[in-house]
Amino acid sequence: MIKRGKGIAISYYGTGYGNGYPDVSNTKIKLNKEGKVEIFVGGTEVGQGAKTVFLQIAAETLNTSIDDIILFSEDTSIMPDAGTAAASRQTYNTGNAIKKACEELSIKLKLIAKEILNLNTTEGLIVSNSSIYLSFYEEKKVSFLDIAKYLGENLLIIESNFIAQTVEMDLETGQGAPYWPYTFSACEVEVEVNTLTGVVNILSAKFAQDTGKAVNPNMIEGQMDGGFCMGLGFSLFEDLNIINGRIKNDKLSKYLIPTSMDTVDIEKIIIEDPEFTGPYGAKGIGEPVTIPVAPAILNAIYDAINVRITDLPATPDKIVMAIKKDSKAEDKNGKID
Amino acid sequence: MINLNINVNNKDFEISIEEDKRLIDLLRDDLKLTGVKEGCSEGECGACSVILDGKLVNSCLIMAFQINNSKILTIEGLGQGDDLNYIQKAFIEVGAVQCGYCTPGMILAAKAILDANQNPSRDEIREGISGNLCRCTGYEKIVDAVELAGRYLNGSEIYR
Repeated sequence: MIKRGKGIAISYYGTGYGNGYPDVSNTKIKLNKEGKVEIFVGGTEVGQGAKTVFLQIAAETLNTSIDDIILFSEDTSIMPDAGTAAASRQTYNTGNAIKKACEELSIKLKLIAKEILNLNTTEGLIVSNSSIYLSFYEEKKVSFLDIAKYLGENLLIIESNFIAQTVEMDLETGQGAPYWPYTFSACEVEVEVNTLTGVVNILSAKFAQDTGKAVNPNMIEGQMDGGFCMGLGFSLFEDLNIINGRIKNDKLSKYLIPTSMDTVDIEKIIIEDPEFTGPYGAKGIGEPVTIPVAPAILNAIYDAINVRITDLPATPDKIVMAIKKDSKAEDKNGKID
Repeated sequence: MINLNINVNNKDFEISIEEDKRLIDLLRDDLKLTGVKEGCSEGECGACSVILDGKLVNSCLIMAFQINNSKILTIEGLGQGDDLNYIQKAFIEVGAVQCGYCTPGMILAAKAILDANQNPSRDEIREGISGNLCRCTGYEKIVDAVELAGRYLNGSEIYR
């Protein structure tokens, strides 16, 4: 028999290392001889979009196009450490570090512009499109290239960092505020369970993700799709099958991950609620997009067959066994389905 | 050693190979076409997909000696640098790439789908790329990109 069920799950997740652990992103910014801004940062791009987001944040802060900024990342021999691309922390932590460094660069550039333009003060100076001008008298203008030429060999370099605020929990009471900020997610899934074969099909899915400010909505959607797919694999297919400490399912013919036939189009809802400590309000979403998926799917299976699966992955054999066990228990109680 | 006459990405090659060489090694090691990715080495993941005489195949499962007088297309034959093919442009436009490891194989799978049908349904696209695993994207944007590439191909949408 084919049975249908719906399930929802909600989650909140503290990003960053948390619990008082030092959580630092460093960055170095240089105005090169061509008047372009060079950013050196150790934040790693693994496909999640870190480099794009770093460039967007820098361009926003310097009020210029991303084409005027050159980003160098990942080469550890020349990069300041920006911590791991983990704990959903790069957009929030390293994004903040880059924003801070660009703001410091703007201040320095305005001071030099004041000198070159022979002004009394930096008040009223605007940084825009790789130049600095006086808001009410635009003829008073100097480009980043002019500034670079003025500085000559004496290159302008800013080193800055962002240290996330994390508080160690009280060891005696277990109380405290170990993480900041938190990110909220919700997932809804409808499934179809074949009670004879135990096969679960996903019929539809919705995912809502709190993002703070969505720096790049298209990439956030991509993360939501990917996170759902990983959560789906985790709940239905993926099993390392560790026996005596050895991974038995050590290849893709045994360790099954979802294919394009296993997933569905997901209705994605981005919820923007800017976080005041985040860069332009942004928070990390890397892990949160996976977290509520498995519980939502398992709730949907429970809704469909009225049996709770507690051992992952919920493979067909486990589902058939659970249904059989449950019907035996019901027989003893004299209940008829 | 065996002598082969092959055409790769519209270039003819006469090449001498060891009997036990796989097609993927011929492409990657001898011809330096490193857009052909080795994933699982057992025909599960599709990262090594190439188009062999018009058909999408896993180059890790084919021996080089089997392909004498064949025509092979790899991702390098579609487009490189700024000179990109319409499918590559659609993938960029939609944002269908995350880590990028599956992308060369995915784009060739998309080409195989679109060569056969300019207006594939989403289900047909999902079936057509089901031999290519992707760990990052959840496939949805890849399906969107193949749909968009189809619209580029049949002229209902213009690309730059």
